[in-house]
Order: sequence, then structure tokens, then C-alpha cells
Amino acid sequence: MDVHDLEPEQFLEEVHSFEFWFQAVEGYLSGLTWGHKPETAEVPQTDLERDRLITVLCNYCVGETAALEGASGLIGFAPNRQAKVFLSTQVADEGRHLEVLLHRLRDLGVAQPEAEVERRASRSILLFRQRLLELVASRDWEAAIFAQNVILEALEFAVFHSHAQTADPITREVLQGIIKDERRHIGFGENELGRRLAVAPHIRARLGKVKSELDHLVLDALEETMLSIATPQDERTRIGRTYLESVERLGLVP
Amino acid sequence: MSDFLSAYSIQNWLESCPQGYLEGTEFGHQPGEKEPELLIDNDLLHVETIRATVQLVVGERCALSASSGLINAAPDEASKRFLATQTLDEARHVEVFTQRLYDLGVKKDDLESTIAQYANKNLVKFAEVLLEKVDKKDFIAGVVGQNIVLEGMAFSVFEMMLAMNEGVNPKFAHTLNGTIADERRHVGFGENRIGSLIKTHPEKKPEIERMQKEMSYWMLATFTDAFRNNPAPDEFKRLEREAGGEQHHARWQGVDLSDMQPEAMEAVLADTVLKEFKIRLGRIGLEYQTPARR
Repeated sequence: MDVHDLEPEQFLEEVHSFEFWFQAVEGYLSGLTWGHKPETAEVPQTDLERDRLITVLCNYCVGETAALEGASGLIGFAPNRQAKVFLSTQVADEGRHLEVLLHRLRDLGVAQPEAEVERRASRSILLFRQRLLELVASRDWEAAIFAQNVILEALEFAVFHSHAQTADPITREVLQGIIKDERRHIGFGENELGRRLAVAPHIRARLGKVKSELDHLVLDALEETMLSIATPQDERTRIGRTYLESVERLGLVP
Repeated sequence: MSDFLSAYSIQNWLESCPQGYLEGTEFGHQPGEKEPELLIDNDLLHVETIRATVQLVVGERCALSASSGLINAAPDEASKRFLATQTLDEARHVEVFTQRLYDLGVKKDDLESTIAQYANKNLVKFAEVLLEKVDKKDFIAGVVGQNIVLEGMAFSVFEMMLAMNEGVNPKFAHTLNGTIADERRHVGFGENRIGSLIKTHPEKKPEIERMQKEMSYWMLATFTDAFRNNPAPDEFKRLEREAGGEQHHARWQGVDLSDMQPEAMEAVLADTVLKEFKIRLGRIGLEYQTPARR
């Protein structure tokens, strides 16, 4: 049966379940090791290319750590069991993303990935992480879900999607697996906030304020990350626009 | 430390759990399996089965809150990632035991009121002691409370329930089998990770030992309520006598549970859990504290 034919309550019960996650990831994670096919071979890279890739992966690790900490913190005050279960699947997804990225750093010759992440993390992504965790700590459900499952996920989606086009084969497979998870996370944020806005439209103004506050951190982080992998200016502008449009398209903010 | 933690990676978890012992299951059991009709049709057994399942949901909700809350308190990335898998394991347990309540006929709209009606007050107190440590972001106490005390208790309770259900309720036995496999991993992480942290923070020992003593007290009180006020075993025996068939045997820890009085079953479970606590706490450098008698 197509889940979209279900009644709204049944639909949520289905798509926010462990069972649904289980079926979804089985399709694209089966047979992968550390996020890629075991037979995919490493291609030669210059020292400069390798160094740039390490910097960008370190910044992805900060974003994924923020998502892991944010999603796990949200479980504590999620309004119902379905949301708690969905967020638990997201916690495992984010933990997996962090793991495969750290593993990729090791493949690239980084002996102490965690120390390297600290050394290379950009200021703007660290500030974003701090602000996200403040929203989670304040137990502001709508603002925290918006920052986590809309803004952060939309940013990662735009950046990973663009990077995957030009990445080496192993990094591309790792990013493509992550993108598939991000789609589910954005869908949860959109659905959860959409239903709340329908009955409490005043929330929209608060989300607008959160967006204005976070947008410049997101765009700065995006600029720094894309510069790290020598993305041309017009492509950087396009990705920034993609992020802004993808958030705007959801119609959650004024 | 990193070598030991690599055994608890998400990659290993994916291969052993969703792509391993859970493959092909549906809410933790084989597709198409159903609860025995007796548990639905017999009013007394129906209520007691719902009551027992509610305690599992309460315990797993506590474990979900604790494991997710501990991620932000974890001192290293590898522990965070292990706790991410544990969070999802616990959410799965909440889901499969909640689904069992639905399978037993609890209406979705009545779920929370059913849980409120049947939740054992002592089990709720047990959970509160643990969640207070988690709220304070006390990683060491939280992991001891969660992965040694709560999971240690759950492990033995599930094993005992499995012994009682194997052969008579394959659906629930399969659900328990998968859950036990998860709990084994969680207990292993607790022992391995916390041992090293206790060594570097010996000043935490008295506070953690107090927590264990308090949690053990509420756990034993829960066991007492669960066994001494439970008419289900007598009802099963009465039905077996009436049917005139062969008696069902449930062997666990060297005894046949089906031949025992509720007080004796309670003693076997309590002794098993406390013995395991002593061994596991000893391995991580803590001394087991005997709880006060009720």
C-alpha cells in the first residue's frame, strides 16, 4: 500500500516509525562499508586537493556533530511518541554520517580525525552549532526543529549535493548516502512545522526571526566550505541561492 | 579505548542488527505471527498481559530518554556514536512493545491512559532516579544507571520472560529475542567504557554507589508488586489442568518456573539481577550497595 493513501494520523504513525526507517535504509545502505561500496577504488589526488578535501570534511563533521547533538536533545521534549521515534532514527543517521566522514578522513591519512576537526573547523559553523544547541537547551520545539531539520538539513543538502557532483568516487558515494537520509529529515521538519503553523500561524514570525539570525552564519559557513574545495564564485552563489530557495519554498517563514 | 569502541561502531551495528538478527522481522517478530487467542479472550490474562507490557514500555521510554540525553554529555565522539545506536535500539523497543499493546487490543487513543493506569509506581521512581542524573549531564553516573543497572535488570527480566513464553507464544518470544540481543550490546558498552572513566574519576564512586542502591531498592519493590499481586500464573495452571494436556515447563537459571510460587519466582529473578550487578559493578571498580529492605 502507498503510504500517501493513508489517513493523516496513520501516515505519521507509519513514516515516523523504526519500521519505515528500517525499510528505507535497507535499500541504500545494504552492502556498503563506511558509506561506500567496498570495491570503489581511491583515485590519485594532489597534496593540495587532498588537503582541501580534509578541510571540507572536517567542517562537515562539525555540522553532523551539531545534528547528532541537536536531534538527541530534541527527543527529551518531543511532543509525542512518533516524533521521539523518528528523531531516534535521525540520531542514528547523524551518528552514521559522523562516523563515515571520520572514517573518510582516516582513509585520507588523517591519524587523529577528531583533533583535526577541531583544528580546521570554521568559526561560522561552530557558531551555528552553538546557537542550535542553545535553541535545543531552551526546549523551544518549533525554533529548534526549524534550525535543525530545516535550516541545517537544507544547508547540508545543498552543499553535499553540489560537492557530490565533483567529488572523488568514494567521497561521492559517502555524500550520496547522506543526502538520502537528509531528505527524510527535511520531510519531517516540513511536516511537523507545517501542521503546527496551520493551527498556530503566529509561530511563523518567531521562525522568521530564527531564520534571519541563522542565515548569515549558514551563508558564511557555506562560503568558507565551498572556498575550501575551490568552488568557483558563480557556483558558490548558486548554492547559496539554492539553500535560501529551498527554505523559502517550504513556506514556513514570512 | 578507541580499539574497544570501534567494536561499537554504527557500521558494526548496521551489519549485526538491522542487516543481521532483525532482517525479515516485523515489529521484532516474524511476519504474520499473532498473540495467542487465550491472552485476548481470557479477561484476567488479557489485563495482566497488558499490565506486564506497560511496564516494558515504561522501562524502554526511560531508556530512550536516558540514552538520547547522554549523547550531549558524552566526552568523546565514539561514545556519542554508540549512544546514537542505543537511542535507536531503545526507540525500537518502545515501538515494538507499544505495538504489542495495540495487538492486545489497546486503542491508539487510549494508549497514554492505559500506560498511566497500569504503570508501576515503583518502576516510575526507579526511572526518575536515573533521569535526574541524565538531566544533570552526569555521564558516568548516567551510563552506570542506564547501561549497568537498567539494562542489567532488563536483560534478566527479558530472559525470564523469554523462558516463560518460548513454546507458548512464539510472537512475543521472537520480539524478546531481538531485544535481548540489543541489551547485551548495551551492557557490554557500559562495562567497557565506564571502567576507564571510573579510574580517572574515583571521587565519583560514592555518589554512583548511592544511585545504584536507590535504583536497586525501587527495582526490588517493582518485582515484589509484579509477582505477589499477579494472578496470571495460577490462572495459567488452572487452564492447563482443565485442558488436561501436558504441563508447560519454563526452565531458567536451573529451576522450572512453572512449578514455583510467585514469591519463589521473584526471589530467583532478584537474586539473578543482583548477582549480575555485583559482578558488573566489580568489573568497573564499584562496590555493590545492598538496598534497604522494604
